[in-house]
Amino acid sequence: MKVGLFIPCYVDALYPEVGVQTYKLLRSLGVEVDYPEKQTCCGQPMGNAGFERLSVPLAEKYDQLFRDYDYVVAPSASCAAYVRVFHPGQIRGKDPQHECMASKKTVDVVEFLHDILKVDSLPAKFPYKVSVHNSCHGVRELGLSSPSERNIPKFNKIIDLLSLVEGITVVEPERPDECCGFGGMFSVEEKAVSLKMGSDKLRRHISTGADYITGPDSSCLMHMEGVAKKLGLEIKFVHVVEILSAGL
Amino acid sequence: MSTRHSTYAEHYLQDNEVAERHDKTFFGVREKRDRMAHDLPEWEDLRKAADGIKRHTVTHLAEYLEQFEANAVKNGIHVHWAADSDEYNAIVLDILRSHAVKKVVKSKSMLTEECHLNESLEKNGMEVIETDLGERILQMMHLAPSHIVMPALHVHREQIGDCFREQIPGTSESDDPTYLTHVARLHLRKQFMEAGAGMTGANFGIAATGEVVVCTNEGNADMSTSIPKLHIVSMGIEKLIPDYRSMAVFQRLLARCGTGQETTVYTSHFRGPRPGGEMHIILVDNGRSQILGDADHWQTLKCMRCGACMNTCPVYRRSSGYSYTYFIPGPIGVNLGMLRDKDKYYDNVSACSLCCSCDNVCPVKVDLSTQIYRWRQELDSLGHSDPMKKFMSKRMAFLFNHPGVYTGTLRLAKAVNWMPKCLVNSKLNPWAYGHKMMKFPKNSFHRLWKKKKI
Amino acid sequence: MNKMSAREQILNALRGNTRERYDMPDLSEISPIVYDDPVGQFIKKATTTAGAKLLEMEAGDSIDELVLLAYPEAKIIASNVKGVTAQLNPDTVETAQELASVDVGVIEGAIGVAENACVWIPQTMKEKAVCFASEYLVILLHKHDIVNNMHEAYARIEASDKYFQKYKFGTFISGPSKTADIESALVYGAQAARGVTVVLINN
Repeated sequence: MKVGLFIPCYVDALYPEVGVQTYKLLRSLGVEVDYPEKQTCCGQPMGNAGFERLSVPLAEKYDQLFRDYDYVVAPSASCAAYVRVFHPGQIRGKDPQHECMASKKTVDVVEFLHDILKVDSLPAKFPYKVSVHNSCHGVRELGLSSPSERNIPKFNKIIDLLSLVEGITVVEPERPDECCGFGGMFSVEEKAVSLKMGSDKLRRHISTGADYITGPDSSCLMHMEGVAKKLGLEIKFVHVVEILSAGL
Repeated sequence: MSTRHSTYAEHYLQDNEVAERHDKTFFGVREKRDRMAHDLPEWEDLRKAADGIKRHTVTHLAEYLEQFEANAVKNGIHVHWAADSDEYNAIVLDILRSHAVKKVVKSKSMLTEECHLNESLEKNGMEVIETDLGERILQMMHLAPSHIVMPALHVHREQIGDCFREQIPGTSESDDPTYLTHVARLHLRKQFMEAGAGMTGANFGIAATGEVVVCTNEGNADMSTSIPKLHIVSMGIEKLIPDYRSMAVFQRLLARCGTGQETTVYTSHFRGPRPGGEMHIILVDNGRSQILGDADHWQTLKCMRCGACMNTCPVYRRSSGYSYTYFIPGPIGVNLGMLRDKDKYYDNVSACSLCCSCDNVCPVKVDLSTQIYRWRQELDSLGHSDPMKKFMSKRMAFLFNHPGVYTGTLRLAKAVNWMPKCLVNSKLNPWAYGHKMMKFPKNSFHRLWKKKKI
Repeated sequence: MNKMSAREQILNALRGNTRERYDMPDLSEISPIVYDDPVGQFIKKATTTAGAKLLEMEAGDSIDELVLLAYPEAKIIASNVKGVTAQLNPDTVETAQELASVDVGVIEGAIGVAENACVWIPQTMKEKAVCFASEYLVILLHKHDIVNNMHEAYARIEASDKYFQKYKFGTFISGPSKTADIESALVYGAQAARGVTVVLINN
């Protein structure tokens, strides 16, 4: 199985360690991993801001770069969701016949580990209490967990994976899948609402008594970390992959 | 980088106590709704059916309207058609005048808000009394609704007590909700007895039987229509459903989604005039038939105005109804406002973090967040895009479309260089409003990969 | 302004703007909730969330006695139900306004719904105000008329030719009039009945 690693722009620039750990984890599980160097961004920042037309070439490039892999794995639920949900329509807008292969094969790393590799043991140890941040697009676009709004059997793929880690205590905050208020440029255009959403979310995570907030989306973590530091709230942040790969 | 919504919201959030109370109140309604959803094993099947029924009905609406009209007329109901709000207001006025009505009691109807009926009637010398308690409070306080189902939940008991003491003689010093509700009960009783006409909206119109269904908890629609002999129903044309089998699906969903109850206290079926009375139904288009032709947004016609999308919306709960410039707030209001007048209501399109929670509570599966995303794509061509967002998007698109430049930029300048200067300057940096600036690591992933350090 | 012109205008616009058409879904795919003991479920819902009182009527009980038991202070009772002693009769009052002073209205329910304690009240009196303007309401309901859910209730109404013949109105009532419009505080007796007693008749 050959996997193309998609390291979204902000993970590349701000959280390279998340990319590194994803690579190491996949390799440790026997997966052949390639990183196409010409990759950049899925286009979501422009799309959510209302400039999808500017990001269509990115979707096309993405498809060219990744279409021949068995899977494309990204350590970022929101970017994987954007590729899966929005790319096909964007490309079809220009070329109705085009089949968006890369979009179909794109998964978040949690999905890949849980659904494709069906990982059932990991050597990782993480002797801390972590509060799971169920990011919106992970929950409601990728189905990483059952949305609290729906009456469907309860599940949570992130928690399933974290439960394989030795020494960890996993909790969820009240309102377990309410938005943290990032939303790309939403966080600057609606800065007051975004800050309020972020601080509310942080307080709910903190009141679980957790040492860390963890999630599949560095963008939510980046937002909450920025708010926490601004407000002087004490809690640490770690991407799910960094826990699952601990000790590699 | 701001919109009228974001500016009003920022102002609203200055009073943290009020804001937290608002959030808690409406999240409480969402939680009650969740309990209802989880109590019914067939919940998701009901949503699927409701979506399907509405899809079917709105795409066969002309036929169903004709059927509805024919059956209503058979039942002895007068049916009127209004293409827009002016026609609608004129028809109402005409009916009232021809019956020499001076005072009208009204149960809650968002359609009458949409058409500014009260102003129109008052201008023509009618006394209009809202009878839903929340609406009556707002009317007495000269305020607009801030939610479509619980329009006055943002008003505090002390303000209501003061208002009643000023306007309803004999009101004592107590601000107890039970006491104030009973003061209003007596006050409204008098209005029901004196009114010459009762007006209601319609939660549903049933084509197969030619009747309308009105759901309330207070019984005010029933009081309004069982004392005065003239009943006028205002109904948006999209409120039609085919038959009783469909009605069962919607009756089960409406209150569960709207207020977290298994049912409203009253589900009243009006199939004709009272003995010795008269019943009129006004079918109002006011833009709805145009929405049907809009490939991206026609699904808003499925909406049954339960308000669930407001209660779950993290932005609505933290900014309140008055931060929106359209009279219907929240996710459905953002969309309906744009469909009403893009140039007037585009400010609300910012009020969404695209969390998609609304899509999952909506009982008829309107694709609310996707529609907001689509409106954002239109803003630039409408001339309403934010210049800073456009600048940043163009910059990003350029960089990301040129991988060489992009990785170079990250390596050399740590991304900060490709941000506009004013964004880095902390005084003007909107990111710095709520965040401490992030630290950029020495190496990007890309550079580590190139240097073979992974 | 021509009335017909608005009608034609709207219908034409709808026909012109309809794009893809969707079929009516198959509603038999829904398996609505049913209860082992629908009467027990009805009683539970009526006396909890609906906020009604409940009395069971055995052979030999008189409705008058049960009304007195439920509302001993009542002075003016209105009803057109056979065998009920009442001061006012909604069939014979001149105006609906006369029913404003009623303490207790006694009316008949035709279908009870276990899932939500709704009772179907077809209009069987000239002035339906008795159902809403009375301070308190006594609803008579036969146990064998209790169904599981709203699907069953609507199917029964549709199948019967009893309803909407003489009077063109019917309503589902579930407990007393309620509001939570002031700070979400639940208050009974917003506009219509302050209290409801359902009298379940054993057969």
